Amino acid sequence: MKKIRSNSIEQTTPLLRWVSEGQIEEIHFATLEVLERTGVKVDHPEALQLLKDAGCIVNENRVRIPSWLVEECIRLAPSKIVVANRKGNRVMPLEKNRTYFGTGSDLPYTIDLETGKRRRSTKNDVELACRVMDYLPNYDFVMSYAIASDTSSKVSDLHQLEAMVSNTIKPMIVTAHDEINMRAQLEMAALVVGGKEELRKNPFLILYSEPISPLVHTNDGVGKMFASFEYGVPVVYTPGILSGATTPVTKAGTIVLMNAEALAGVVMAQLKQKGAPIIIGGGATPMDMRTTATLYGSPETMMNYAIMTQLSQFYGIPNFTEAGCVNSPVPDAQAGMEAGNGILMAQLMGANLVHDVGYLEGGKTGSLTFLTMCNDFMDNARYMGRGTRIDEETMAVDVIDEVGPGGNYVSHEHTFKHFREEVWTPKQFNRSFWEIWEEQGSKSMEDNAEELAKEIVANHTSEPLNETIRQGLNEIIAETDKAKATSRRKK
Amino acid sequence: MSSLNDLAELVISGNYNGAKELTQRLIDNGTEPLEIINQGLMAGMNVVGVRFKAGDMFVPEVMMSAKAMSTGIELVKPLIADRDMPSAGTVLIGTVKGDLHDIGKKLVVMMMESAGFKVIDLGVDISPEAFVEAVKEHKPQAIGMSALLTTTMLSMRDTIEALEEEGLRDSVKIVIGGAPISQSFAEEIGADGYAPDAAAATDLCKKLIA
Repeated sequence: MKKIRSNSIEQTTPLLRWVSEGQIEEIHFATLEVLERTGVKVDHPEALQLLKDAGCIVNENRVRIPSWLVEECIRLAPSKIVVANRKGNRVMPLEKNRTYFGTGSDLPYTIDLETGKRRRSTKNDVELACRVMDYLPNYDFVMSYAIASDTSSKVSDLHQLEAMVSNTIKPMIVTAHDEINMRAQLEMAALVVGGKEELRKNPFLILYSEPISPLVHTNDGVGKMFASFEYGVPVVYTPGILSGATTPVTKAGTIVLMNAEALAGVVMAQLKQKGAPIIIGGGATPMDMRTTATLYGSPETMMNYAIMTQLSQFYGIPNFTEAGCVNSPVPDAQAGMEAGNGILMAQLMGANLVHDVGYLEGGKTGSLTFLTMCNDFMDNARYMGRGTRIDEETMAVDVIDEVGPGGNYVSHEHTFKHFREEVWTPKQFNRSFWEIWEEQGSKSMEDNAEELAKEIVANHTSEPLNETIRQGLNEIIAETDKAKATSRRKK
Repeated sequence: MSSLNDLAELVISGNYNGAKELTQRLIDNGTEPLEIINQGLMAGMNVVGVRFKAGDMFVPEVMMSAKAMSTGIELVKPLIADRDMPSAGTVLIGTVKGDLHDIGKKLVVMMMESAGFKVIDLGVDISPEAFVEAVKEHKPQAIGMSALLTTTMLSMRDTIEALEEEGLRDSVKIVIGGAPISQSFAEEIGADGYAPDAAAATDLCKKLIA
């Protein structure tokens, strides 16, 4: 009979909390004060009317939101949002403490995998990045990565979606130029899964939309969000800010302001549709006071995301943060530190959607090499996130006794049985002794990553879409393009 | 023939119980003992060596494969005259005087044995005189010396000099290894080679003895 131990508590994964529950409440109350005292600007007529009818104080487009309404809407927002893949498998439940990694969207520049030269991004870059992420197991979702700048600029977002669904089955987060293009994308998504009902049952895409800091909710930003809710598609409604420029320079002030913007979004979402699947968070990046660069890979962002993740868990609303986006222009040691820190923090805090992985130069330049490299970083973070197993088998007292003083464990069956779980094995890191490393070509980790990226691009393709759907997608793109050209002429 | 392939597969997968059973079955069927070794057990181990070098197999797996091979060999050995036992050669190995570090050397021993060498492991803290005595007794083709400490690595030179004084230096190849050791140190003290890890040490001995 197995001997049991009374009063035993197991902590199977590490427990990281950045601030106390009391401090989280302090931030919450400060946020309510901002919404009630300062209020927000709303440029969307329907949203403005909904807020007014619900009891907000509205002067022209300035809206002061009472605390009770904010708290009521927080309660209405779902704490669990399930996102499916393209095939309808519900692979990405956004629940407290479940962490998913993916890249970001719309990089203007790409370091070409073949030439090594930086150039404008193209639709082909979106396709290649999606194929690479389709293959690499630590990417849970994709975003467009690059801008399809070689397509019609009026519908380049639609081209990006077409490139994404054609090259990966993984869940995706999309961006849209405006409400018209968002609706076109929702039609495209419905076509891919066989109709609006299927899309509503198992949405495989999420819209990324944003307020503009400080405290402005635009017609397009809210319009895109509302359109997505009509299709049952979840929405990330989060600001991208610059501490010290569009928010206070202090971390706490940044968080309060961003939280106010996110919660105003939650209120509008729940007034539009009870239970609307909204995701809060954002890019909490300071401005570099020497260069004005947006600091993605910085310690401040990671500290901010830690608290913002705690806030989202306090509210029971899934969140969206960022990691693996670095300010270094190349995949060097700085990039490794910046990416590694953020990815590990996101994993240990239990952030939900962690985007922008594999970005260089503060989110302006893409590199498939770096994207590939980050797969190992995420693997490392997840390994640590799984925690340390402590039980009879792993404490190995019997084995220690069997081997005895002066023996060795390398040929023991216990080692053979557990080494795969107990010793992490990366794919791209260099761990050879110098001479062996030299014999194998003196390759850096960057060289290893580049080789792997090339191998994936050459050999991996995702499950293809059928021809009818492909044609349908192209028709929607062509129609939208044409309609926009006509409407512009009329103006 | 196919069961010899199966035996090789059992060695590769480190299934020592399976290897033991199948070896016994092959013996009972009247399969030539040398064939069992060369085309079954060693054939499997050769694949393991290649895969390990390519990074496709891990140390504990190689150890299990070695165990599978040696359980098979144990059964076949009594059926073969000593002089007919296939061997890649005899290697004498030890950690040098003043140094008690063992695990790196043990890894080398296990790797070499799995590659078909007969390895005599003298243990740790082996003085130059003890190496000389052992060479006289076992007549190896090669000596492997291990050291982890910069203070003890100099004892390698003393051992080589002691072998020279006894007129034994030319009868053996000398390879050295350990964290502070390098190719240039090997050249400086007149060793025949240096290997950075256990697999390289095995390859080096094969090359030097061939």
